This record gives sequence, structure tokens and C-alpha cells, in this order.
Amino acid sequence: MTEVKLVIQRFNPMVDIEPRLVQYIVPKREGMTVLDALLYARDYVDHSIALRFSCRQASCGSCGMKINGRPRLACYTQVDELAGGEVVAQPMDNFAIVKDLVVDLESFFTKHRELMPFIVRSDPGELEQPAAEFLTTPKELERFLQYTYCIKCGLCTSSCPTVATDSKFPGPQALAQAYRYTVDERDEGGERRLAALDTTHGIWRCHFAGSCSFVCPKGVDPALGIQLLRRHVLTGKPPRGKGEGAQVWKPAGRPGAQAD
Amino acid sequence: MDSAGSGRVKNKRGMKGWLNPYHYNLERWAYVFQRVTGVAILLYVLGHLGDTSFFVGGPTGVGPSESSWKFISGIVENSFGHLILVLVVLVVFFHGLNGIRLILSEFGLIFQKPSAIEYPYRPKSLKSFQRYLVWVAIALAFVAAAWASLILFG
Amino acid sequence: MKESRLMLVQYATAVLAVALVSVHLLMQGVVTPYATAILFGNILSIYRSGLYAVFLESLLVVVLVHGFNGVRIILHEWNQSTSWSNWVDIVTVVAIVASVGYGTRTVILAIFGGGA
Repeated sequence: MTEVKLVIQRFNPMVDIEPRLVQYIVPKREGMTVLDALLYARDYVDHSIALRFSCRQASCGSCGMKINGRPRLACYTQVDELAGGEVVAQPMDNFAIVKDLVVDLESFFTKHRELMPFIVRSDPGELEQPAAEFLTTPKELERFLQYTYCIKCGLCTSSCPTVATDSKFPGPQALAQAYRYTVDERDEGGERRLAALDTTHGIWRCHFAGSCSFVCPKGVDPALGIQLLRRHVLTGKPPRGKGEGAQVWKPAGRPGAQAD
Repeated sequence: MDSAGSGRVKNKRGMKGWLNPYHYNLERWAYVFQRVTGVAILLYVLGHLGDTSFFVGGPTGVGPSESSWKFISGIVENSFGHLILVLVVLVVFFHGLNGIRLILSEFGLIFQKPSAIEYPYRPKSLKSFQRYLVWVAIALAFVAAAWASLILFG
Repeated sequence: MKESRLMLVQYATAVLAVALVSVHLLMQGVVTPYATAILFGNILSIYRSGLYAVFLESLLVVVLVHGFNGVRIILHEWNQSTSWSNWVDIVTVVAIVASVGYGTRTVILAIFGGGA
């Protein structure tokens, strides 16, 4: 096969009433990714095709889209791995379309921010006058390491059946990151996050369909994080590690005190 | 940048997002069937409350009534009614056993712990013991339905 | 009620339902042969035995609470407007009370009712 039949969903809000599918024929190169095909179509066939991309190596999360019915990263999907020889590129589901393959990720980031995706400390003095770094052990890190690999591509949230209709549901990305920070032994904001999740449209509207983990390109496995977080939402108490790092990271206090 | 409205196509998958599991994983299919069977069972149970109430003469009855019971038996105790019962056994067993799997999963009881991961990143939540439970639920549902057929038609 | 409490109810009724429904199916078709189990006289005597009535009543409450709460969850996911959400909660409670009420009426009339 020397050519790829590339079908792109086009939608120009200034001109179109609704999206339509347009076919392009693109010459095939060995090892060609869907992103390569899309950029060829944009560069040589139709300059008005709009898409997001950046690193082309599955680390920035920009090129998330629905390819042959499933959310994937365009740069991470080989044309050859798609059965049928036809590539259908559509914007990710459950996000408003800006133009062609570009979607509006505003709500995605808002929901992520709402769950405080950072280490929360109870003593504001620590931040102003730190006496030591927040240390933790490699063993503790393993409890949430895979969740740090999230590139915020949005594929998981796009695939989630609850996000399809429930606009108040945080989505797997926000929930997995809530797990990542709640389970981190350096964090003291667990109770606040857990309380924020214990609502009609919170963590309980996850039904473990697992599609989020199925489509995640970085192996974050949000479904696992969410299920592990649920019983802590029930009790309201965050999980605590074995405490191996606890003696090491306990902050020494104000300046003048000796670190451990 | 204004993201509310401004002529954007909403692009929400909507009801199809729930009901259409094509291109997705086994657990997504199980989720669809769990929902559909749940609603179906509820509707059956409401109907069952109705027909069993004929034991006491129906909505207007005052006490046990053999004639009323014979009346409703005439309507439900036939091949079609028995076929419905076999289907009910099928969906009830699937819903119940898959439900047990969901309870075990949602309390985090049957997963491997998070750890350092290597390419090709097979997610632990989708390869654990819980996947076998989906197949167990399907298999036992058919076994139960077969047994019910033997009882009702055999 | 906090959503986590409601979910605890959902999980508890789920486990109870699995147990009670299994017993119900076994009683109706295996322990007692199906043909005998649906006879008027047979049903009358086991209703009036006391224990079976309690069992049936528990089954009724557990299954209906679990079922209607499940539908409530589905409906909440469908639409998030304030009025829809409020109505869903109200209708769920009404539905549970009404259906449990109707089923309980059958049990009570079977045990204490008069007539033909």
C-alpha cells in the first residue's frame, strides 16, 4: 500500500453548521504515524486543517483525538496498526469543538485545578521559611509514581462514559491526580480533597468501566487510582504510608532549628 | 478566551456514551450490561409485585383469593411466561455476580498495588483477577439460565 | 444524606440482595419443585408460617431500595440542572415508598386478610 486514505472531520465555526467528514489521500511512508499523515494533508493538500501537536513523541499530550473510533494520541499511533487501511481522525469526544480536530479543554483543566493537584501543607510558615526539603523514600514514591506520568492529554476523560453526560463529574484525570496527591505522604490536604469528592457528582459516579486506563498512553491507570481512593472517601481519612519516610521528612521547623 | 457557547459544537457523546461500548474494553461492556440488566430487573420486579398481588385479589383485593390467583396464573404460567423467567434468571445472575466483582473492585480489594511501571504499560486494573470475574459472571449466568430452563420446561 | 452514606446503602443492599434473591430462587424452584411452589394452598401456608413473610418483606425492601437508588444515579448522570436533580431525588423516595407499600400490602393481606 503506497497511499493512506485519511478521513478528517472538518468543522469551521465561521462557515459550517455542523461537522463533516472529508477524505484526503496521503502518500505512505514506512513507520508513518497518524500525526505524520495529518501534517502531510495540512502542508500539501489543505492548509486550513486545524490540529494541536507539539513533541510528536507522546510526552506533551497535545495531539489527543479520536482515531478510528477510539481516543488515541496521533503521534503515538502508527497508520499500520489501524485495521482496514483507512484512518478516520475526529476530535476527542466530550469536549466542545473549536475547529476541526481542536477541542476546548477549559473545563478539563478547571476540574483538575479544583481538586488541588499540589502538595498541601497545613503550616503556611513552612513555605515562607523552609528549613529542609520535603523528603520521601523510593518505596513511598512507588505508591504513586505511575500517576505522575500523566501528560494531561484528555484521552481518559474523553473515553469515560460518565463524562459523556455528567458535566459536573471531575473525570478520570482529575480523580487520578487527586489520588496521586492524597496518597503522597508529604501532603496534608487529603481530608479537603476527600470531602470535595463526596458529592452526588463526585467520585461515586465512577462505575469502573475502565476505559480511561484502556486508552491512557502513559500507563497511568486512572481506574486503579480511583478505585483505591473510594474507600478513603467513605471514611474521610486519607491513606497513610508505612511512614518510612516520615522521620526523614518531618520539617525541622523555623530557621535556627537543626534539620534531622 | 470565551469557552461558554459561542457557537461551539458541544460534541458530547451523550446517551450513546453510556450505551455504546464499541472500540472499548471488556469492563466497559460489562458496565453497559450491568446498567441495562439493572433497569430490566427493576421493571421485572415491579411487574412481579403486580402479579403476586393477585394472590390477595389484586389492587382491589382484601385477602387470599384462589380465583384471583388462578386468573393470574392463567396469564403468566405458560411457555412465554416461562421464557421470560429464564431470561430474568439470566440477567439477575449476571447483574448479581458482576455486581460482586464491582464491589470487590470498588473497595480496592482485588487489585495489584501501584508500582514502577514498564512499557508496554498494561494497566493493572484491567488485567487483574477482576477480569476473570467478568467471565465467571457471564458463564454462571448461562449455567443458571440453563438450569432454570430445565426446571421450567424440562 | 452524604453521597458516601447512600453508596454504602447501595453496596449493602447489593450484597443482601444477592443472598436473599438466591434463597428466593432456590425456594421457588429447587427446594420446592416449581409446580408445587406456585400452588395457592402451598403459598398460603408458607405466608402464614411467619418466617417466610419476614423473609419476603426483607427481600422487597432490599431489592427496591437498591433498584430505585440505581435508577436515581442514572438519572442524576443524565442531567445536572437543579430542578431535574431535585425532582429525581423526590421521585425516587416516592417510588420506593409506593412500591414497598404495595408489596407490604400483599404480604399483610395474605397473612391477615379475609375473603374468598
